[in-house]
Amino acid sequence: MRNILLLVALAVFLSSFWVETKEKKAELHPYKLEYPSSFGSRFVIPADNPTTEEGVALGRMLFYEPLLSSTNTVSCASCHEQTKAFTDGRPLSIGVSGKPTRRNSMSLANLLWVKNLFWDGRASGLENQAVFPLTHPDEMGQSLEVSAKKLAKTTRYPSLFRQVFGTSSITGEQITKALAQFERTLISADSPYDRSLKGNYTLTASERRGMELFMRGPAPERGVRGGNCAHCHGGAKLMQEVFHNNGLDSMAVADRGRQEISGDELDNGRFRVATLRNIALTAPYMHDGRFNTLEQVLDHYNEHFHFSPNLSHELRTSHNEPTKQRLGLTSSEKKDIIAFLHTLTDSTFITNPAFSNPFETKK
Amino acid sequence: MIHAFLKLLLSGILVSVIGTQGLFAQTLSVTGEVKTPLLLTSSDFQLLERIEVTAKDRDGKEHRYAGVPLTVILRKAGVTLGGELRGENLSKYMIAKAGDGYEVLFSLAEVDAEFSGRTILVADSVDDTPLPQGVGPFRLVIPDEKRPARWIRELKSLEIRFAK
Repeated sequence: MRNILLLVALAVFLSSFWVETKEKKAELHPYKLEYPSSFGSRFVIPADNPTTEEGVALGRMLFYEPLLSSTNTVSCASCHEQTKAFTDGRPLSIGVSGKPTRRNSMSLANLLWVKNLFWDGRASGLENQAVFPLTHPDEMGQSLEVSAKKLAKTTRYPSLFRQVFGTSSITGEQITKALAQFERTLISADSPYDRSLKGNYTLTASERRGMELFMRGPAPERGVRGGNCAHCHGGAKLMQEVFHNNGLDSMAVADRGRQEISGDELDNGRFRVATLRNIALTAPYMHDGRFNTLEQVLDHYNEHFHFSPNLSHELRTSHNEPTKQRLGLTSSEKKDIIAFLHTLTDSTFITNPAFSNPFETKK
Repeated sequence: MIHAFLKLLLSGILVSVIGTQGLFAQTLSVTGEVKTPLLLTSSDFQLLERIEVTAKDRDGKEHRYAGVPLTVILRKAGVTLGGELRGENLSKYMIAKAGDGYEVLFSLAEVDAEFSGRTILVADSVDDTPLPQGVGPFRLVIPDEKRPARWIRELKSLEIRFAK
């Protein structure tokens, strides 16, 4: 009996070594992405970059890390400020060169569900996306190799990278992977509109009228008025991954948008249909930041858009008035839609301490 | 750095050349679980078996749509239809994608005329005129559906996949 017990003890003792050597990387804790069921799970997380608590924490530090820029002064957060739903309030952004970027800084909310990133959808997946701003000469202007070397010289990062990726040296690919992990956690789902869907907030009369106009397409023959906004901006996430020409110019020449990626002339002037989450916080608007206010945006869709050759079919065909020229909403209807748009501001998201600058928490 | 810049410059030139010639424009691709991937142009459409159907569009009015039956295109690509649409092939589906990125799904069984008894058309003309820009050159027309949300305008691609 005693021999058997001894044997068992020995086996347990030996197996503990076995587990320890085999699961060196298994100290990582899976990060639980939480979102309303209505958002659905139409997303893919790369098998070689699972989201972990440790990876997300590292990604958050890197997001706020100015060492990733050639001047040690610019981080991702420079152009993506949490208080502005991760935009920067400028028409075009300013990076290390001081020269304005080509396009307006995009809000970083619910990117978990976005397959092709940027205004023109050129980058597939968040890992690939991160390479562009990190290395672009007018953004952070530093190669991934130099960034990795700089981080390797710090006291803070080598052990964190080792913990997350299990290797002794830091690589550029690991930087983009950690950033992507953090970005996947930037989920916005607690605006007054979201709460109204759960019965925890009652829309005001104006907000409700605005919501109805937002969601409905106009049908003058049946006496139905609508803005038809939801056709492109609808769904629980208020985001669909489509690229449209919204008549900003009669022909897009200086910036051809998606045409520059696809080479297809039908894509001239087509840009991502932006998410409307936190839209009241993300001025100025459009890919070039040409509109300062939501009022100007509504006026554009209602009164000013150009009939460009490949204007979005919905803009071309949505009319509230029998004259059938443009959308034809009244000024009070536009005000109601703007009131509704303000209910998409998610104050939980922009104050969530998990998304804030980790280097400032002790202040 | 210089390498990346050169690449950018090159791709810019390529894009502008291709853009002006419209080489990528106006095609319909058929890919995925197929024997022969296809890239069809408007002129290819004239060489295939054509039919005409009458159906109500979003405007509530009847229109005459002409084009190629979807099954003709899928058969040309060697998709498992008819007698081959059995067993695990019944877990195949088709993703139809529009130029703006809009996507809708059909099970393979529901698009196969032999299986479901319905005719789906890849139309290139309406009431004897080519589909206008923003709608064509190709559009899916599903006459028996009450809501035209799957009548994709600017149809760019059909991809056959297995549900995994």
